[in-house]
Amino acid sequence: MQHVSTLRRWQRQVRRDRWLYLMLLPGVIYFLIYKYLPMWGVVISFQNYSPGLGLFQSEWVGLKHFERLFSEPTFWMLFRNTILLSVYQLIFFFPIPIVLALMLNELTQQAFKRFVQTVIYIPHFVSWVVIAGISYLFLTPEGGFVNELLGLLGQDKVNFLMSTEWFRTLQVTQVIWKEAGWGTIIFLAALAGVDTQLYEAARIDGANRWRQLWHITLPALRSTIVILFILRMGDIMEQGVEHILLLLNAVNREVGEVFDTYVYTVGLLQGNFSYSAAVGLFKSLVGLILVVAANYLAKKSGEEGVF
Amino acid sequence: MKATLGEKWFYGLNYVILTLAALSCLLPILNIFALSFSDSNSILNGSVNIWPKGFNLEAYETLISGTPIVRAFMNSLLITVAGVAFSLLFTILAAYPLSRRGFTGRRVLTLMIVFTMLFNGGLIPNYLVVNGLGLVNTYWALWLPALVSAFNMMIMKNYFENLPDEIEEAARMDGCGEIRLILRIVLPLSLPMLATIALFYAVYFWNAFLQVMIYIQDTRLLNMTVLVQNMIRSQSMMQFINNVQPEDMQAIAPESVKSAGIVVMIIPLMLVYPFLQKYFVKGVMIGAVKG
Repeated sequence: MQHVSTLRRWQRQVRRDRWLYLMLLPGVIYFLIYKYLPMWGVVISFQNYSPGLGLFQSEWVGLKHFERLFSEPTFWMLFRNTILLSVYQLIFFFPIPIVLALMLNELTQQAFKRFVQTVIYIPHFVSWVVIAGISYLFLTPEGGFVNELLGLLGQDKVNFLMSTEWFRTLQVTQVIWKEAGWGTIIFLAALAGVDTQLYEAARIDGANRWRQLWHITLPALRSTIVILFILRMGDIMEQGVEHILLLLNAVNREVGEVFDTYVYTVGLLQGNFSYSAAVGLFKSLVGLILVVAANYLAKKSGEEGVF
Repeated sequence: MKATLGEKWFYGLNYVILTLAALSCLLPILNIFALSFSDSNSILNGSVNIWPKGFNLEAYETLISGTPIVRAFMNSLLITVAGVAFSLLFTILAAYPLSRRGFTGRRVLTLMIVFTMLFNGGLIPNYLVVNGLGLVNTYWALWLPALVSAFNMMIMKNYFENLPDEIEEAARMDGCGEIRLILRIVLPLSLPMLATIALFYAVYFWNAFLQVMIYIQDTRLLNMTVLVQNMIRSQSMMQFINNVQPEDMQAIAPESVKSAGIVVMIIPLMLVYPFLQKYFVKGVMIGAVKG
């Protein structure tokens, strides 16, 4: 009897919400076709996929493409390039939004604060094409501002855009320029939620600014920092493919080529669908494992975690 | 409270650093504006900073007469306006049911959507799906794969969940049905969030570059990003620009034309940004990261 009434209640609920289900239908179809179908499509990594034969008739080759990937010297180049860029970003980019948010939070003049916020959010909305273009105009050895400046200082011109040494610096600098300001939003929102009475109480107890920062402000930001760190872990194998493609050229490919750009070049431009899908799958799996592991560790050490 | 000397130094430094941060975002853009309006002599001897020298509109005239920029601009506009309309509509349709308490299947479906943020099939399987559906060389290849962003949907869902229950209850008491509740109460209360999400989608579609490179081969369908990128990459402007006489080219610096292309790309953003930026500062972003 219990069972029947549960079923009845469920039926009643579904009938009551039938409009809601109808609303949700297009979204569910979208996610099935454009997100879950490609997930199933990764099976071509285990085939010699040929567009003529299709998914069902292409020959199965097991782990051949993965064996090829791991045995090629290209793999270590891709691995090193991808990880190095991610590590540099973790060191040089990740802390900047936190520091900027703390500095903005100290401002007492609201007009100035709003002005700075408004301006530093702008680059986030600018296309990588525009950023690549501005960088080109600034850095080109033919009359670019930076090289003119170097010339005035009596230095040799540097071809930043066609150089292996400057590639990573350039990439990380562009990421900082584009995203550091925007990154402050989430921390400012967390800071706005801090109870101001805590600061008053601390001041009465004789805590100076640094101690207030250490004991009140930073703990308030901790869960946000942890969450962003976990999400960052999931992106460690990923670099903005558009961004890197715009920076790549014949000279800097050995330091600039990352998994995503390799998949694009080998897969879409050269038509090796199966092999490049295997590269992509390897990359996505490592990302998934890292984000789950980071989340697990965070939860284990008493943090909230993402999921 | 009197500020100690250390605190005074701290505040001073704080202002200086934040001013520099703001300038570093602003000056490159102002410089590009200035370059696009300057004459070639001033550009070649490097005297243009943030104010145009020898003001003229040659670069823009060259762009309009010698490149398909007008068509590319209209294409970008079409991609963006239609893309925002589709994506906003279908994101609302997905987010609203998932924000209702007591909606059967809510948890499972939300998890299913969040999972797509953590794992995806990758570039090649995505391409095969879009190609298999016959979307290549149409703008549907840009619109459909981006119809609902999981991230934007989560922001929207959280926002709907945090709307005050009392208003909804009162409306239901008055016999307000689900559709009217959405149109008359939920959406009007969510305008700041909707404006923010619309801006996010608009920026995505306006800046679309890689998708266009992958899916659009017909040159008449190309958008601003691809045009500007080709222009910046081309070694000599002469190759790029048609029907301009060599002697005319003497007067125009390539930097000026390239800058003008960049300016045309960012102008629409500059026009809408001041109206929308006040919305996304507070309330909208928080809770977005929590899955």
